[in-house]
Amino acid sequence: MPVEVILPRVDMDMATGKISRWYVADGETVTKGQVLFEIETDKAAMEVDSPSAGTIRDIAASEGTDIPVGSRVAWIFAEGEAYAPPVEATAAAAAVPADTRPAPAPSQGAPVLPPERSPAPAASVTAGAGNGPAATPLARRLAREHGLELASVPGSGPRGRIQARDVLVRAEALARPAAIQSSAPAVPAPARPAAASAGGGLHREWLQRGEGVPIVLVHGFGASLDGWRSFVTGAAFDCPVLAVDLPGHGRSGPAEAWSLSALAAALEDAVRGEGVASAHFVAHSLGAAVTVTMLDELPVEARSLTLLSPAGLGPEINGAFVDGFLRASKRESLRPWLKLLFADPDEPREAFVAATLRQKADAASVAAQAALAATVFPDGTQAIDIRAVLGRLTAPVKVMFGVDDRIIPARHVQGLPGEIGVHLFSGVGHMPYLERREAVARLVREAVRSGS
Amino acid sequence: MDLMEKAMSSAEVRANLPEAYRRLSPDQLKQALKKMHLIRLFEEGAEDSYQRGLTYGTMHLSIGQEASAVGICAPLTDADTITSTHRGHGHCIAKGADPKKMFAEFFGKETGYCRGRGGSMHIADVKTGNLGANGIVGGGLPIAVGAALSMKLQGKDSVSICFFGDGANNEGAFHEALNMASVWKLPVVFVCENNQYGMSTSTERSTAVKNVADRAVAYSMPGVIVDGNDFAAVASASMAAVDRAKRGEGPTLIECKTYRTRGHSRSDRNRYRTKEEIEAWVQRDPIPRFEQELIGLGFLTAAEAEEIRAAAAAEIDEAYEFAKASPSPDPADVTRFVTTV
Amino acid sequence: MDAPVRELSFAQAIYEALAIAMEADPRVFLMGEDIGVYGGAFQVTGDLVHRFGAERVRDTPISELGGAGVAVGAAVTGMRPVYEFQFSDFATLAMEQIVNQAAKMRYMLGGEVSVPLVFRMPCGSGTGAAAQHSQSLEAWFAHVPGLKVVEPSTPHDAKGLLLAALEDPDPVLVFEHKLLYKMKGPVPQGHYTIPIGEAATVRQGRHVTVVASAIMVHRALEAAETLAQEGIELEVIDLRSLRPIDSRTIIESVKKTTRLMSVYEGVKTLGIGAEISALIAESEAFGYLDAPIVRLGGAECPIPYNPELEKAAVPQVPDIVEAARALAGGRT
Repeated sequence: MPVEVILPRVDMDMATGKISRWYVADGETVTKGQVLFEIETDKAAMEVDSPSAGTIRDIAASEGTDIPVGSRVAWIFAEGEAYAPPVEATAAAAAVPADTRPAPAPSQGAPVLPPERSPAPAASVTAGAGNGPAATPLARRLAREHGLELASVPGSGPRGRIQARDVLVRAEALARPAAIQSSAPAVPAPARPAAASAGGGLHREWLQRGEGVPIVLVHGFGASLDGWRSFVTGAAFDCPVLAVDLPGHGRSGPAEAWSLSALAAALEDAVRGEGVASAHFVAHSLGAAVTVTMLDELPVEARSLTLLSPAGLGPEINGAFVDGFLRASKRESLRPWLKLLFADPDEPREAFVAATLRQKADAASVAAQAALAATVFPDGTQAIDIRAVLGRLTAPVKVMFGVDDRIIPARHVQGLPGEIGVHLFSGVGHMPYLERREAVARLVREAVRSGS
Repeated sequence: MDLMEKAMSSAEVRANLPEAYRRLSPDQLKQALKKMHLIRLFEEGAEDSYQRGLTYGTMHLSIGQEASAVGICAPLTDADTITSTHRGHGHCIAKGADPKKMFAEFFGKETGYCRGRGGSMHIADVKTGNLGANGIVGGGLPIAVGAALSMKLQGKDSVSICFFGDGANNEGAFHEALNMASVWKLPVVFVCENNQYGMSTSTERSTAVKNVADRAVAYSMPGVIVDGNDFAAVASASMAAVDRAKRGEGPTLIECKTYRTRGHSRSDRNRYRTKEEIEAWVQRDPIPRFEQELIGLGFLTAAEAEEIRAAAAAEIDEAYEFAKASPSPDPADVTRFVTTV
Repeated sequence: MDAPVRELSFAQAIYEALAIAMEADPRVFLMGEDIGVYGGAFQVTGDLVHRFGAERVRDTPISELGGAGVAVGAAVTGMRPVYEFQFSDFATLAMEQIVNQAAKMRYMLGGEVSVPLVFRMPCGSGTGAAAQHSQSLEAWFAHVPGLKVVEPSTPHDAKGLLLAALEDPDPVLVFEHKLLYKMKGPVPQGHYTIPIGEAATVRQGRHVTVVASAIMVHRALEAAETLAQEGIELEVIDLRSLRPIDSRTIIESVKKTTRLMSVYEGVKTLGIGAEISALIAESEAFGYLDAPIVRLGGAECPIPYNPELEKAAVPQVPDIVEAARALAGGRT
């Protein structure tokens, strides 16, 4: 049996090789270990020895031809071994052409330039490096969601970078009626009062999780988000429900300033902190005034707005209630004042009194509420007015009052714009959402539907 | 001579033989010869498959060093561990590995010892106590000491064998490992297979002492020099060192003087050695030498020697075919086995 | 019933974890330089040599490469060694055994072995030990598949993570910031573990996510306290594990806060912060980013000796306050 001579792999990354020189000729006698040929790789030349002694036959690979490693390049027949030309194809037949790359395309002389382009547009957009204005990923996403061109959004971030709030401000500005819009500043990012940050981190809680645009609940003076729990439980809302504790109430810390704008900024922070930029708002009493102010001043969108016994529609308020409520430190002194909230003489229930009394245990909270009252209800007067703002809102608005409200008179609904829905409940006091739970819940559900 | 006389003289001859011939049964000696053939044939098969482009990556052949691998492992059981080197195919077979799974690993197959993840330089067989070849020169030295410490802490009557090459004797790990093994009197046998070249650099040019074994004195352990191509000499030295380790007297450094007749790896162009030098060592091939010795001592007949060689060849052919037919690992499993959990 | 909780120092918590593991598992043994009668360079191993003997609390020669390798060899043959580097800087002498052997052995051997060992790595600056005894090299090791890297910030986590490491079948490097050794904190008695690969949100906040580890967690919390006065809320995540990294916790936090900052002591460039930034950039949280990501890492220099220079070389509380305030921008 003749011994095969192959083109050996001599480098790790070698798939083909080239015999640069044969040292023996076909038919020559060779000894074991004699150099047969030289392989040229891109690194070096390497000599290949004969694997055995005998006569070399059928040299198949010519010098300078690339052939796959492992290919047979010759046979060595031992002395006395009969030579028979092998039948199978030899390596030469399997040889790889020296250059198998496709022929280059015919030369076309100088490189062809793309068609003349119109000059780059003048740098109308200053921010960014030619690929639209600089904007944060969140701003870009919000712009997409609002169908806004980023180029139309003025950026308030470093070097004019567009941030999320810029997009939301712009989106809201566009959503307002034309007349209002024209009177609004081109960059309506409001200067925020310092107090806004002082109250940052309002306590809030998702009372219900779910899909879709959420309902946001804002309580009134002296209350907390806990007051909404029983209302939400029976309300059969089919969307998420978020409730917020206003500064100085519930588990939220105090604010440094108690203006409506300051409270509104804190509320916005809390709402946006939950990733909510758009919601159905349900707000009670002073909370209604805060919410309306927020919607006017800050980039949060209302899909619908339900105001329960809202403050800010007229000067009257029960000053005795405010003072008495603030002063009361025990059940006995608190209960008579809380009775004023309800029309039903059996109210308030003991649990309601106890819950309110628990808040009173927190001195900081009592002090905060006193400071708040001194700002918004000085001398038994509502020093706040949301009528003008209410007229500017584009979201559908419902206002509800109890006819027998002994804190803020129901007649404050008079003179509201015609498109605002007004619901008056007889036999109901200042707490319609507790005194007429089912009716209020149904109206809120309607508002949610109409605003979706 | 009558039969009686013949037996007498045979016993006398035996009494003067190296310890390996006195302690190993004829069967064990035949097994050793077969393992040497297996190693040689495995290496030749590996070389052939590499040259044919059937395998990937490089490899380091131990052709010419078979007596060292098999001789050192002669007194070992599966409870004894070895750490091996990049030139580790021989150690693997000597320790009892299955050439099938070795070839499969060499071919990068899922059926290989390392499921194709390790290749030539990392073949291990934990079941036979082989903790693995190592791609880092000197990498196995501290690990072998750790295995010995482990045996000592667990009260096991085992030894840890550490193969390394002459190149490793200039690594810091060598010195740290020998020192610790000696300080703690651990059951380790350090086996330097001195094939005289670290790639192209000869020990004369790289090592300040004439013999690697001379370093043993610095670590207060015996340094033993043996002809690494003489099976009986190697095996006898191994037996003495293993006995010493098991007696709790600590480590030994054995230096097997040997030679690789192939280059360092497959890209070696052999520019640093002469053909005459290589030829002189080919003449000292450990396999025919061992075979002749066994025949001369009457442990083996020429016919038996032929049978052993044929059996080894058949086993290697079968292993080669098994590996070729085995499946490759699934690329989707590329990050499998990185951590246990 | 919950185990009683005492105040222990970080070092005592580690000591306790080691003692619990050694009592429960005869395979656990300790190796390292001067960990025996000396009690360890930072007095972590204390009197363990008297409780468990010199065989199991083994002083080694000053041979980090050899010592680490011995640990590897013992780990693959049935033991659970804990090797203490006197300073993690000295692990550079043992990179070969850690990176080439311990990390890769399981993979190279096709899953045939596990390497259950723990390397303890005292790290960090702030002790005046200068360039070769103050580094934070954890990112180097976290780059290596096959290693697990944890970095506790409290005595509680130090004990829980070390016990988890001692029960893990793979090599775990526990980085212990030297400034934390004396820090006290509540530590439950008895056995408990902190899962490797879980970060902890140690302060909730709405405006900026701050991802920190080791001593930087405490600096970030201090900065958060300061900024809270200004109405800026930091959410502080204690990374605890670098590999595997808890990307989910970071992603969810950034989705909430829209701003990300990482604070780490290792050199800033190509450090942990790069990984944290990248994992956010690659995740769904990218679309929530409302400001560029900020990295606060070590200066591009070795740790200097002079105390003022040393402070300047790694993030301090005022640096975090300033960077976080700028990052929060007009957000509040």
